[in-house]
Amino acid sequence: MNHDTTKSQKPAISHLFWWFLFANGGGLAALVLPVQILVQGVLGPLGVVHVVDRHYDTWINVLGNPIVKLYLLALISLAFFHFAHRLRYFLVDLGVPAARTLPAQVIFYGGAVVVTAVTIWVLLTTAPISFA
Amino acid sequence: MTEGDEAAASTGTAPRVYKPEMPRGWWLRRRHYFLYMVREFTAVPMAAWLLWLLVEIQRAANGPKGYYPAASPAFIVFSIICLGFATYHSVTFLSLAGVIIHLRFMGKPVPPRAIVATMFGLWLVASVVIAAVLIGFAR
Repeated sequence: MNHDTTKSQKPAISHLFWWFLFANGGGLAALVLPVQILVQGVLGPLGVVHVVDRHYDTWINVLGNPIVKLYLLALISLAFFHFAHRLRYFLVDLGVPAARTLPAQVIFYGGAVVVTAVTIWVLLTTAPISFA
Repeated sequence: MTEGDEAAASTGTAPRVYKPEMPRGWWLRRRHYFLYMVREFTAVPMAAWLLWLLVEIQRAANGPKGYYPAASPAFIVFSIICLGFATYHSVTFLSLAGVIIHLRFMGKPVPPRAIVATMFGLWLVASVVIAAVLIGFAR
């Protein structure tokens, strides 16, 4: 059917954009999230090892590092674009067709944008940038 | 498609769209379906844990007197649950790289198993680096 091929030839730029965020968020979370949860969420609170966030001075010192700030921003922001995409299709799979609609997209990806903005604000206001 | 079918399809005002109807609880019928839905669900506990991390970062704004890290048994249980889901996400996501990524090296396609092995190697390296930073800068 010819009218279908002309339609599919249009490059799906927006699709590419969201897919890029989805794939990289999922990849970054896959590489670093388990170890971060294990160390900061389990071993640290149990006292098995000393972890930076157990004391104010070490935590604020690490949080002031610009590389750490960029890392945390990339991790949290990209991961939430991944989560937004996954959760939307999770709802579709559960039988909620409304999750396909434009308002649902605005809510889910908008949520990731909000989390990104809040993360930037927290990272910039919590610890002053220091290279020490 | 025969000519007659095509003609019938083009004369109708709106194309007939096939709408598959999934029965409720379809994902409970087979182990494979269930694991697929578990994989999709991993986003929820991972998002919850990252939001907690954001709170922990924000708490540092309270100053040396006001800062306290989470240490309750409930928080540790929450983290262990999130750790299970996050690990499942890692295994499934990194394994998919063998299907998605197509590379050629010296004119030959890289076998998917080598790509997956590289991904798991990267996971190990990243884990060691992150753990070294989190533990190495502590006191």
